[in-house]
Amino acid sequence: MTVFQLLSKSVEMFPDRTAVTHDGRHTDFSQLYSAACHLSDRLGRLSLPEGSPVGLLYENSLEYVISFFAILRAGLVAVPLDTSLDLDSLRFVLSDCDARVLLVDSRFRRILPGIVAGNSPVERIFSDKKIGSGRDDLEVEAVINTEEESLPDMDSLPLGDTEDDEEKLAAIFYTSGSTGTPKGVMLSHRNLVSNTLATIEYLKLTRDDSVIVILPFYYIYGNSLLLTHVGCGGRLVIDNRFLYPEAILDTMESENVTGFSGVPSNFMILLGKSTFAKRELPALRYFTQAGGAMAPEIVRQLMDAFPEKEIYIMYGQTEAAPRVTWLPPEMLKEKLGSIGIAVPGVTVLVADDKGNELPTGKVGEIVVDGPNVMMGYWNHADEEREVLRNGRLFTGDLAKKDEDGYIYVVGRRKEIIKTGGNRVSVKEVEECILESNGILEVAVFGVDDPVLGEAIKAVIVNKKGCSADTVEITDFCRSRLAAHKVPKIIEFAQSLPKTKSGKLDKKKLKDQCR
Amino acid sequence: MAQKEKIRKDIRDFITKSFLTGDENENLSDSDSFMKEGIIDSTGVLELVSFLEKQYGFAVKDDEMTPGNLDSIDNLVIFISGKLG
Repeated sequence: MTVFQLLSKSVEMFPDRTAVTHDGRHTDFSQLYSAACHLSDRLGRLSLPEGSPVGLLYENSLEYVISFFAILRAGLVAVPLDTSLDLDSLRFVLSDCDARVLLVDSRFRRILPGIVAGNSPVERIFSDKKIGSGRDDLEVEAVINTEEESLPDMDSLPLGDTEDDEEKLAAIFYTSGSTGTPKGVMLSHRNLVSNTLATIEYLKLTRDDSVIVILPFYYIYGNSLLLTHVGCGGRLVIDNRFLYPEAILDTMESENVTGFSGVPSNFMILLGKSTFAKRELPALRYFTQAGGAMAPEIVRQLMDAFPEKEIYIMYGQTEAAPRVTWLPPEMLKEKLGSIGIAVPGVTVLVADDKGNELPTGKVGEIVVDGPNVMMGYWNHADEEREVLRNGRLFTGDLAKKDEDGYIYVVGRRKEIIKTGGNRVSVKEVEECILESNGILEVAVFGVDDPVLGEAIKAVIVNKKGCSADTVEITDFCRSRLAAHKVPKIIEFAQSLPKTKSGKLDKKKLKDQCR
Repeated sequence: MAQKEKIRKDIRDFITKSFLTGDENENLSDSDSFMKEGIIDSTGVLELVSFLEKQYGFAVKDDEMTPGNLDSIDNLVIFISGKLG
């Protein structure tokens, strides 16, 4: 099955069910399918070689969903672009993948001239409105039109007419990783579809499910929400106002969403800075959490606030399309702190450097084998060889398995601080500090130290109304951690920088701290 | 009226210093949505709230952190004036 067939199968079964809700507007599957085919036919008339990358620069919206599926139906490759990237980075990504076509949200009219100036590879631009490109030789065509009267007649469209070739490249998702330079993760139709179906299975998603989408679609976790809900005939309720959590909570209530998916900072903000814990949310069935380790203390707070809702802790990477493990909600209390077990159809080992599985309790690297493992990195053969060996993905995450096969992440291979001859896990120190009263968020990292090599630094955000200080935090850490793990430098901040997907931007924080 | 104008200036100065370049400040109107214009993210809202609490000496309650209260200079002026009485 190809990614587009996730949509075409759903439109056959559920043509009149709402697929997307955004800004009070409801679009059903047949309308979505028609609009995608309409745009796809337009892209097809460009006669681009099969597999040509197409840049997609849209905020979460109906237009994004239409564009994504249109690109894939046309046999092209979707390259979702991070809308928070600076101009140079956007230009870099488009040049790196040699995208000749750009689908762009009219909201980005101010930066579009900068994106396509000079030696940009972009030759054709499509948008939802007629906007200027800043170049006389490059016109923007307004093609994405969701007004009903302009849609092709549903009955005249052939269903499922895409070529069934699962191994072909479907999308390139750029991640910045630890170096800061974006690199493209190549995902095939098989990677995305297999992972989508596995996720639908373990989350028990049905056509009656609807998820509030606060995570950007260009982020692989957000993309997973998109594909799973289109694939099961469910509904995407898009709301881009997470900077005002009360607005999101109001939408969750008014639209009776059944699912909420977030990264740790989303939950911290909701629990610490909103009326979230006081809301009933009767229609809500489940939460999912991925995008980094969420401290057990925060999980406990979520469990206390919503004891009847299912909480799915999950782990994955863009390179795994993305889902690798999940923790069954009924095991959450017993296995608190674990990332769970392999998702259906995937094998997960804790292995040594050579990929040999290690015994229970031994710390090693998480290695993934399955149909979800990426094709490779675009234009980064060296890095690809480091992480892809014999078709298996070496994740760079260190973990151990317990006697029941449940996996516990110890830290990132690259997030170990070497201080005074000792190796300290950043994760361990962060989780310890979060157990202290009144802490909203913390970031721990190593800073150069003339004596220790690296010293441990913690930057802390207090909860509203709380005022933990250096002495308190130090004393707390001393009571819980070995002396060499206690942060040498503690600072307090009003907030910590985040990426647009809500993940802590540690690189930016480290740069700010210099 | 003088108080409202002082508040308006304070807010604009803070937004400019914290989130904008000089050119962007000239293009930002008092009614522009911070969210729609992409001026502030979720971290920035926390900084804004912290500024309001320090500057004006009142607490911003969780359920007051809404676009209606915080999402433009005009909205902030009305919100702050209301809180100050």
